[in-house]
Amino acid sequence: MATDAPPAPPAIPAEPAYKRTELMAICAAREVKDGEIAFIGTGLPMLGGMLAKATHAPNCIMVFESGVVDARPKRTPLSIGDACLVPGSVMLGGLTEVFGLLLQPGHVDVGFIGAAQIDKFGNLNTTVIGDYRRPKVRLPGSGGGNDIGSLAKRTIVMMKQDARKFVEKVDYVTTPGWVDGPGGRERVGLPRGGPAAVITDLGVYRFDPDTKEMVLDSTHPGVTVADVRANVSWDLRLPLRVRTTKPPTKRELRILRTTLDPEGIFLGGA
Amino acid sequence: MTSRLSKTATSPAEAFLRPRPFMGRMAEPEVADKLLPLGEAVAKFIPDGTRLRSCGIGLRKPMALTYEVMRQRKRDLTYLLSGWTEDADLLIGGGCVAKLEGSYLGLEAFGLAYCYRRAIEKGIPREIAIEEYSNFSMTMRFMAASMGLPFMPVKSMLGSDLLNVESFLHPKAVVLEDPFGTKEKVALVPACHADVSVLHAQRCDSDGNAQVWGQLGDDVWGTMSGKKILLTVEEVVPTKVVRKDPNRTIVPGFRVDGIVLVPFGAHPYQVQGYYDVDAAFRREYAERSVTLEGWQAWTDEWVYGLDGHDAYLRKLGEDRLAKLRAKRAMSGQVNYGY
Repeated sequence: MATDAPPAPPAIPAEPAYKRTELMAICAAREVKDGEIAFIGTGLPMLGGMLAKATHAPNCIMVFESGVVDARPKRTPLSIGDACLVPGSVMLGGLTEVFGLLLQPGHVDVGFIGAAQIDKFGNLNTTVIGDYRRPKVRLPGSGGGNDIGSLAKRTIVMMKQDARKFVEKVDYVTTPGWVDGPGGRERVGLPRGGPAAVITDLGVYRFDPDTKEMVLDSTHPGVTVADVRANVSWDLRLPLRVRTTKPPTKRELRILRTTLDPEGIFLGGA
Repeated sequence: MTSRLSKTATSPAEAFLRPRPFMGRMAEPEVADKLLPLGEAVAKFIPDGTRLRSCGIGLRKPMALTYEVMRQRKRDLTYLLSGWTEDADLLIGGGCVAKLEGSYLGLEAFGLAYCYRRAIEKGIPREIAIEEYSNFSMTMRFMAASMGLPFMPVKSMLGSDLLNVESFLHPKAVVLEDPFGTKEKVALVPACHADVSVLHAQRCDSDGNAQVWGQLGDDVWGTMSGKKILLTVEEVVPTKVVRKDPNRTIVPGFRVDGIVLVPFGAHPYQVQGYYDVDAAFRREYAERSVTLEGWQAWTDEWVYGLDGHDAYLRKLGEDRLAKLRAKRAMSGQVNYGY
């Protein structure tokens, strides 16, 4: 999906200015294929899902863990439980319906989750930084993250990146990725799935189909491979040729800014 | 089964359903008995040490009741829910909670829960313990309890520390291979019983038949996992309103022990069809609760310094509440005829 940045045309500025959060939401949207069932979490994934629907994937169905199927919100939802997801949806239930009847039996194609730490096999921590009993930072915990990462057909991870987040070993495995490598998920009894991509503020990563190890796929425009490596605490595997993430199009930015998050609730900041 | 002749208000079926074996209370209660003021309800149903199940994921939280539990300085609660936000953060900050069983505690888009952080990281105002599950596993624990089963199987938690790291439940989960031949692994999670389940519902009748619409979260199973059930509601409506649309009822009145009428009782959260989120209020809480001093000042202002829900609503003011009122988006009607 990502290609080399096109050569800059002479007269007009080459790219519209954009925030890293905007590019992350756009990268998320590009991971969703038309017609897919997408399990959406709060924040940038929500914008990504809605952007996908507004552009290349109009038949994508967004499912929210609080019980909503095929939401069509008219404003930026503040959370997965926002009442604005309800009017215009096709079905309403609760966690049992969405997790039990849609996710667990394998009807969800793609799920989005965030993380505070990730390792090279895509195992995620959203629980604690430091020792579990007396942590340096107590984080919110699994929520639906473990369920989504365990049971969706594939998972897209979205997070900010630095060397304290991209670690050799996560302090707590909240959500299993490829566990300890090839066959890891099968050994622990997970029926399917696994992380397919990691989207950060520096680039996009995928996983080697044989070794299940994370591989850099593309760096965002203006980010160098050295920048990326300085923000990973293991020896990150590189492809033969590192691509540049396709920059946002004017249309993608316009929809994000004017329709999906005009107040900058999730796009605000850096 | 039902005779066309039994059209009276108290049918034989109703009379049969009334006794509640949990409580050994056999006499048919006066329906008016169930309605009681917030302060009395908290004093009566939530003694220190209660296993208290709350409700709402991202909306419809029993906030009026939460503030009252703080004001009454309840202690040593075990607080149960899949997803907590300000409700749990406040109770932890107020020193009301000893243990948590659940899956998420944060302020969603507004940030981390700082009372929770202070309690876990520094033991302020007291040490607390949490037994963690995933959202779905927690829902299945409530389902087991509400269905009278000792446990339920899930495919979540496998290969994660949610399975391995125990706090105070031993075991918290058990991996079992399918004994019927496939050898597929499942995690068994234990029933999660509550002494009292609180449900904030849009409306109920005076018997407590509780109607909820919008996202249900884990409230169907969670509410029914309570030995006792306490409703806080936006409206008490005539029973004919309920009986005209029984599909919307998620708890039958005969399971309900107390009803508290608290309009705007979930503020600053939303209640579908009644009012919207007060985002400015939530943002202010998130900002002021970052420091202990800030949190104390906020709670002095909004909780301890007010003598109840009416004072809270007066402080919010009519203008602010009017702005939050829900716009109309009426459902169509269905024909229940046959």
